[in-house]
Amino acid sequence: MTDLRDFEADIDRILTRLERAAPFAEIVAQRVSGQGMRLDRRSTSPSTQARLHGAALRAWAGSHWIEAASSDLTLPGLEIAADGIERALESTSVRGDPPGPSSVTDAEASTNPPHPVSELGLEGMIALGKDVRGWATQVPDVRDAIVRVAWEDEERLYLNTAGARTYQRITRVNASVVPLAFEGGRVEFDFLGEGAIGGMECLDFLKEPAVKEVAECSRALLSAKAPPTGAMTVVLDPGVAGTFAHESFGHGTEADQFVRDRSYLKPLLGQVVGPESLTIVDNGAYPGGWGTIYFDDEGNPGQRTVLINQGRFVGALHDRETAQVLHARPTGNTRRSDFLSRPFVRMTNTYVEPGDWKLEELVKEAQNGVLLERATSGIEDPLGGQMQLKVKRGHRIEHGEVTDLVTSMALSGKVLDFLKGIRGVSTASDFRIEPGYCGKGHSDVVPAGTGGAYLLSNAIVGPA
Amino acid sequence: MSTPESSVPVSFRVADKLHVDAPWEVFGEHARRYELHFNGRVLEVIRGPLIVEGFGVRIFRGHGDRTGIGFQGSTDSSEAGIAQAVTDATQIAAHSDFPAKRVDLPTSSASAAVEAVDVKLWESPLPRLREYMDAVLAPFDSIKDAVPSFGSVRATLTETSISNSAGLHVTYPHSSIAFELAVKAFGGPEGVPPGEYWVNQLTRRIDPATAGDPVPAWCSYAQDARRAAPPPTGDLPVVLPPHVLAGILPAVLGARWTGGARLREMAPASGSVVAAPNLNVYDDGRFPWGPNTGPVDDEGVTTRRRSLIRGGAADEILYDVLHGGAFDVPATGNGLRGISFGNRDWLRFTHAPGVGASTLVVEPGTGGTDAELAEIAGDGIWLQQLGWASPDPISGAFGGEIRIGYRIRNGKIAEPVRGGTIGGTVVGPPGTPSLLSCIAAIGSAGRLVDDLSSPTLLVKPLTVAGDAGGRPTSAG
Repeated sequence: MTDLRDFEADIDRILTRLERAAPFAEIVAQRVSGQGMRLDRRSTSPSTQARLHGAALRAWAGSHWIEAASSDLTLPGLEIAADGIERALESTSVRGDPPGPSSVTDAEASTNPPHPVSELGLEGMIALGKDVRGWATQVPDVRDAIVRVAWEDEERLYLNTAGARTYQRITRVNASVVPLAFEGGRVEFDFLGEGAIGGMECLDFLKEPAVKEVAECSRALLSAKAPPTGAMTVVLDPGVAGTFAHESFGHGTEADQFVRDRSYLKPLLGQVVGPESLTIVDNGAYPGGWGTIYFDDEGNPGQRTVLINQGRFVGALHDRETAQVLHARPTGNTRRSDFLSRPFVRMTNTYVEPGDWKLEELVKEAQNGVLLERATSGIEDPLGGQMQLKVKRGHRIEHGEVTDLVTSMALSGKVLDFLKGIRGVSTASDFRIEPGYCGKGHSDVVPAGTGGAYLLSNAIVGPA
Repeated sequence: MSTPESSVPVSFRVADKLHVDAPWEVFGEHARRYELHFNGRVLEVIRGPLIVEGFGVRIFRGHGDRTGIGFQGSTDSSEAGIAQAVTDATQIAAHSDFPAKRVDLPTSSASAAVEAVDVKLWESPLPRLREYMDAVLAPFDSIKDAVPSFGSVRATLTETSISNSAGLHVTYPHSSIAFELAVKAFGGPEGVPPGEYWVNQLTRRIDPATAGDPVPAWCSYAQDARRAAPPPTGDLPVVLPPHVLAGILPAVLGARWTGGARLREMAPASGSVVAAPNLNVYDDGRFPWGPNTGPVDDEGVTTRRRSLIRGGAADEILYDVLHGGAFDVPATGNGLRGISFGNRDWLRFTHAPGVGASTLVVEPGTGGTDAELAEIAGDGIWLQQLGWASPDPISGAFGGEIRIGYRIRNGKIAEPVRGGTIGGTVVGPPGTPSLLSCIAAIGSAGRLVDDLSSPTLLVKPLTVAGDAGGRPTSAG
């Protein structure tokens, strides 16, 4: 089979069967393929994405959902999953339509880059990786560099008993270099990485000057001091600002948390929570964004949803159920990690829109504090309203100037206090979206883009 | 126990159809997953059976004193699917280059049983999960001002099978359960927002008879979070219980004490002092009910115990087949799949093996009970929950936000703390301060949490960033 749609007739047959047993049913089929390579001084490790395919079946049982899944897309394989659904439905007597509107979208979309990375082949990816490693290791003390390049094609076919049919093929590309600097038993690194939907153009950032610059920073981190510790003024780089948007008003506005009464933000909807300079958006339709989806896993198109508009909290992310409960419309944010995972309300590309400050102006305004750079992770606290952001490196800010390089650190803060402390966001020339992976809790990982420009506020910072 | 739908394990079936003129290995899984998801106490979704059957084929092509390795995972075990996987793996092997002088695949495996299957769950998954969740939720009937805001339990029942060109055919069952519960506390005084304690556990078995026992403590932590304030800033003694250490130690030790780290000159030299002199740590692939426990590792090599740190000094390191081949040493039974993705219980056939720790065991010491460790600490912090330590295996740095902790004053647990950060380095170059080198006391009883069995540790000091002044101050 060359296309997920080749299985459609059998999938449709199973959906017809479920339609007889349940008031509403849907099937999401998924197939992935791709290639990648990782190399360092000692080894070259090309890889192929596992040839994984399967389907998730979901039916409404009157008061709750019943789901089954199969990694076998043949009719007998799908029938085993359907048997499981029907057995579960037999024990329920309640009938009625599921909450919220069912999609009736009928559309297809594919990435179709003019020059897909697959054209490079394994040889081309390895050759590029060796060039990148060579540039990095020209820097003294940088004995090695880990280089990764990968692409993935993901197909999803969605059908429901209300008549929706969506098919999408998304091509994601990501690459990174991690130069490793060694000295006296200590190892340090900085990193450079990007990811997006598209083709060869996604690898344009892997140029010699940029790679050498990050290698120099790996070396400098060997002798960098620990970051300052305590409550202080902070400037976040665009990637860290994006992680802030994701962990604060991203997870906090996934409306299933509202329905669970687990979001401190719920009572604040409609209120001013930050300065006019702050606008935060989730945008599943952002062109080329790492977290972009053409359709979600309830058959709705990906879309732009404003969460904070000029400081006012105006919107949330919805699936069909939360839309019903909260009198809203689905926002195209229902995502399954894969055909084996349940759907949740999830982010796509979440970012802080640019403002009108220059970075130098933000640093001068900060006077003393720390510039946090190279986001590595974050975690939300939807009920408690805290957030944790971690970065690989940063710089001190002293007397309105960027000064010494400092090592990795964590930022902690109450989101609402952090918002009140925002004094400015830099211009569109600094804006970028970075690739990441987001879990709902500790599982159900999906690609999610985070972005923004430089942002100035206050928080607690310590080494980490 | 009932057998999976096909009585012949998937790796055996695939192996029968392989046509490869080089050493090979097939890792197969037939897995069933069942899940219950709750919104508060209301059942939201029943999931299952979620059925996955797949295999990963690995092909080894020697060239001189190096080896090309090709791997492909697939859910298509038809003749055409197997042929495609072999074609993919062969192509990958042609471009791969690894410094293994030889590849010694295991020829047989020990048959000694390990404790890795919850038999009652295996035989009756959904009713058993329901019984378990009912037991977890029951104590909330009698607890004032605390409710579950959401929860889920996900059981995966897997038949793993491994075959290789050296004649190995091994199969074994195992179960794993991922449990998640968010507890919300509320009530007076007026105007104080609710607090939360969020529990995540990965185990190999569940016991409804004891499932509700920790619920009152979880509710207390959630209630305490409501009145907690950030800790002071400074270098302080910090007490780390096993469930906090489970998010810190395995990620760093499990990466640094390996042939992979040795190959990249990041492993500790045997005999070098890396920790306090009273610290002993070993890896045990057969540890009862460890999430990674099995009779063999994911390459079919018999699992065993290996000493990693003895008397504060680095001891042995861990090898899979390939890294063993690179250093002319036997594999130690530490070839694991999916370790870098953190989901060892599911879809392992989609990953080629890497080398890592199975269950890390910190030997109990003489520090006594948790209360006695607090007494030794004197003035410090009891860390109950960290946001996410996200340790960095290369630099060894770890740290994160305090979600809930307690001040220790005069050797007693005092008021709760929340917000601010705790961090440091797990292990550094010899002679530099680190979590391991600054261990001041080791508790007397170990507890298995995820893939770590450890007593509570007292570390003196770790860097705490707080907000004693209550307003932003300048750096420096």
